[in-house]
Amino acid sequence: MSGGSNEEQQQQQLPGVSSIASGSGAVSGGGRATPEMKRSEVRSLIQRYFHQLQSGCGNAHCTNANCASSGKVAPMTANEVAAKALQLFSQDAQLCEPVSSPQDVDMLSPNDSSSSSSGSGSSTSTITSTSTATTTSTKSQSQSQSASRNVVVAVLNEDPILSVPPLDLSGLEPSSGGSGPCTPTLPPVQSLEANSLIALFEQCRAGDSYDLICHAIGDVFSNVDRLSKSFIRSADSEASSGLQELLANPPEALNKEQLRTLEGEHDKDEDSTQQEQEELEEEAPATTPTTELINREAPAEIEAEPEDEDVTMAHVSGEEDSVEDPSQSSDTKVDFHGLRRVQRLLFGSQTRVVTEKLTTSVIQLADWVHYMRPDWEKVIHCLVICFDLATNTNNSVVDMDYLDRVLPKLCHAAAAMPVPAQARLARIWAAHCSDQLQALVAACQQQITLQVLLDEDAVRENERIISVTKVLKIVFYANILASELEHPSCRVPLDDRIDMAASSSSAGGAIEDDLFVYSSLLQPHMPKFAEDQLEKALQISAIDCRRPLIPLEEFYNEALSENIQMHHDYLSYKALAMESEMGSGHTFSFMLYAFILTPATKVDALYYDSRMRMYSERYSSMINNFGHDGQDGMPRPDLKLTVRRDQLINDALIGLELVAMSNPKDLKKQLVVEFVGEQGIDEGGVSKEFFQLIVEEIFNPAFGMFVQQDETNNMWFNATPFENGAQFTLIGIIIGLAIYNNVILAVNFPMVVYRKLMGYCGTFADLADWSPTLHKSLQSLLDYQGQDMEEVFDQTFRISYSNVFGEMVEHELVPNGKDLLVGQHNKQLFVNLYSDFLLNTNIQQQFNAFRKGFEMVTDESPLKLLFRPEDIEMLVCGSREFDFVELEHSTEYEGGYTEETKIIQDFWSIVHAMPIESKRKLLEFTTGSARVPVGGLKCLRLLITRHGPDSDRLPTSHTCFNVLLLPEYSSREKLEERLLKAINYSKGFGML
Amino acid sequence: MTAPRRLRKELSDLQENTLKAFRDIKADDDNLLRWTGLIVPDNPPYNKGAFRIEINFPAEYPFKPPKINFKTRIYHPNIDEKGQVCLPIISTENWKPATRTDQVVQALVDLINDPEPEHPLRAELAEEFLKDRKKFVKNAEDYTKKHSEKRPAD
Repeated sequence: MSGGSNEEQQQQQLPGVSSIASGSGAVSGGGRATPEMKRSEVRSLIQRYFHQLQSGCGNAHCTNANCASSGKVAPMTANEVAAKALQLFSQDAQLCEPVSSPQDVDMLSPNDSSSSSSGSGSSTSTITSTSTATTTSTKSQSQSQSASRNVVVAVLNEDPILSVPPLDLSGLEPSSGGSGPCTPTLPPVQSLEANSLIALFEQCRAGDSYDLICHAIGDVFSNVDRLSKSFIRSADSEASSGLQELLANPPEALNKEQLRTLEGEHDKDEDSTQQEQEELEEEAPATTPTTELINREAPAEIEAEPEDEDVTMAHVSGEEDSVEDPSQSSDTKVDFHGLRRVQRLLFGSQTRVVTEKLTTSVIQLADWVHYMRPDWEKVIHCLVICFDLATNTNNSVVDMDYLDRVLPKLCHAAAAMPVPAQARLARIWAAHCSDQLQALVAACQQQITLQVLLDEDAVRENERIISVTKVLKIVFYANILASELEHPSCRVPLDDRIDMAASSSSAGGAIEDDLFVYSSLLQPHMPKFAEDQLEKALQISAIDCRRPLIPLEEFYNEALSENIQMHHDYLSYKALAMESEMGSGHTFSFMLYAFILTPATKVDALYYDSRMRMYSERYSSMINNFGHDGQDGMPRPDLKLTVRRDQLINDALIGLELVAMSNPKDLKKQLVVEFVGEQGIDEGGVSKEFFQLIVEEIFNPAFGMFVQQDETNNMWFNATPFENGAQFTLIGIIIGLAIYNNVILAVNFPMVVYRKLMGYCGTFADLADWSPTLHKSLQSLLDYQGQDMEEVFDQTFRISYSNVFGEMVEHELVPNGKDLLVGQHNKQLFVNLYSDFLLNTNIQQQFNAFRKGFEMVTDESPLKLLFRPEDIEMLVCGSREFDFVELEHSTEYEGGYTEETKIIQDFWSIVHAMPIESKRKLLEFTTGSARVPVGGLKCLRLLITRHGPDSDRLPTSHTCFNVLLLPEYSSREKLEERLLKAINYSKGFGML
Repeated sequence: MTAPRRLRKELSDLQENTLKAFRDIKADDDNLLRWTGLIVPDNPPYNKGAFRIEINFPAEYPFKPPKINFKTRIYHPNIDEKGQVCLPIISTENWKPATRTDQVVQALVDLINDPEPEHPLRAELAEEFLKDRKKFVKNAEDYTKKHSEKRPAD
């Protein structure tokens, strides 16, 4: 974000020095948008507009309509803000001068001069002299190093002068040789803790000189080793967990403290800029108390037994031996509580020099991490701290400045981490920062959007977008981890559940465990390279998350999706596929980060994939044809079906069966349909009609393959069909072909069908959509807490259902289930088995055949990579369209209303003007279901009844009979108001 | 004939401990999921007769609610001309599998005795009930005399 340094701002920065003084800086002149303007300046200006819109200039009396401080800016999403910022830039709009203006600094300069820039206000002569020296010095390293050394001297000497207790640390080091000032050597600050940092800050504030804290921050935040030893949660600050830790492992806990101290002395630091400080350290090897000056986490006993870092690492991993794979651990020692106090203090105080120092230090750290790739465990500790500081903001200018400059760098560093380290970061975030995830998502999205807007043409090559996207994936999985996951995973095929239940006839809880091996046979094809390594490392499945903590829509980036040019990204995806076959694979494709793409963009990707495959099939069959002159049986370039209208299903099924048996690859050719005796040439229209007709017939309950469920109007597999499995396979092929050929079908499957098509099992949660009543009843059985359950429910493990003929059929969920009553101990098992029976076992044969057909067409497509089951439904059925005109024509009236009545006419004109969401609600309000019955709304038979003369009553409904009770309101306005109120608050009352 | 175990128990319980307002409970010989019984209301204008109802239990009982139908015609704002009744306790929104049939019947008897004109199935009767109670009572009584069954002796 802060790549270029703006000269104008730098000029401001030099004389301004302290944070308050910069308010009077020069106002940027007009004519900014000149073509010869440098890119970096453009960028910086847009950023300033962005800040101004989002955070304001900080001036309470600001009058600029485009500045948040004026209170005239309407609330906007980050994307909108970014767009508006661009617009303001192009209009050359007024730009406020922020009270504390964002300063750009050359972030790669190893020793930034902010400690010096604040020096002039300092009170003691020592500090003034040293900092003046630094200010005058150029960026010569040795000089600045000596300067910082002097500062440390000053720090140490200063304590008594300022008569501030030295960070009340001395008291914590009883064995360190008493309190008070320590040996007057010049150690760099080795680590920081929340309390010490806060104390230091207060001390600096009292003395009106922030050199000390800048020095400390600069030392610690720019160095992985030091930061990784900072903000450690101490045993007493987190009493409970600390106690547990102690109880679990008392000697270790002590040791840990000890080791941490020792580690500090033996750090090997590769960073050359730190060399000198290293030397300093070595000069004074016996100054443990001093090096620990600002480390609150001082050991109780200092028995300096030098140990190697390797030992420490072994020790650390030993701590986690309860978890085999460290990437599965969510342990972190970061003291979030303290960190957030620090954050509030530092950013809240608007002390420019300090936050500036923090920003540059973190940037330095992030760069160093990215290039040096040090010990990841330490880096994770640092990243957790830095990200937390970035997201835990209150949107002030200072925060935003930190965020904008630091975040891309942090993402760059985090994205470079190996997968296990990323997995660990995801686990830590999920376990400890779930309240920050939303802010983190928003921050990442802002970065991406801004980058997209800055350069719309290079979206796919923009390194920043890519690294932020990679981090967003970590956040995505942290979000999944932080949400409630279904257990057992619905990825686990439960096909043999009943058999398992049979083997454990006592019906214990054993079935709950993941006893089942992931069956690759049943899983949809997924190319190896496209498997998500992070998901694998985390051993989770995003699909198990039904209610994510942060809605998955928030991960869509519209700006990116719009500008991505999917056909190019698809080519990257293909390139990646080829590379991975050859063992490399460095191309970046957003298709492997599908969470960030909007459904419409993903549909584009699928479309390109289908077209590419059709062309390649066509091409290869033409090549094959070459030389075979006109022989019979030569492969066609397309998939041709010839059908008779009166024999539609038979002809289609026989035709497709032939292809499926002889050469299933032909299914991936473009479909061309011909109706016998008709001249229409299939350019898409004929096959659309074909699909429509065939779906109408196949899903007709009279055809016997599917049944319609009363409650939901959904179609479900007939568990006792007359047809054999092959028929279901062919229907699967039809559904696959419809997706593949981009045709929308009028089918009403419950969502669980799409989940199952994607390779997952139906579970209790899926019943909610399959039969809401049943789901609610079973939930109330689960919720029942009384010990008299056997008596109250009198329910055995034998359940009954009615088959397609309306006959009652009984089924034992376990052997001799009729003798086993459901009670508190086995109610969950009962519900799981019941759901599994209805959704999986009972229709297993039919469904497997159906899915086999679907897979024949879609096995190579990136369907599963790109889409969640909800998206697949949209692909098959299109967005749900409500034809309310049709509904109006079929509606009947009672109680004095006719279609001529004024209020009825008003009613329909109001309804037709409603947005789709309100129409959906109206439908749900009157019928209890937002779904359209097969055959459309005309099959609904809505009845509108007069419910007395004008009154204040709301309209009510009888969902059992699709009756809407409408008082004869006096005016159209009242009707509209009452109606909207009723449908928007229909939950809980009005429905009887 | 099979039936959910609980249903058989509920039937025998109801037959043994008869409710005063719900008599003559029988299950179909060939279908235990269909019961009939006689509602005997206490309150005027319905206390001059008795009303035959049919209760249909789904195969999934008690995980899905039963449905109730009036076989005897009744002049009541909450029961339509086909005998359909909208009873909150057995609506799909409110149904609880722990609810027993005697509770359902009790709710039905209460509704018969005290109509709820706020949620009518027959809006014109509800209006009459609210606006001209006398006329409503008269009509209902006439209707009851004409269509209802004889009340049991005791």
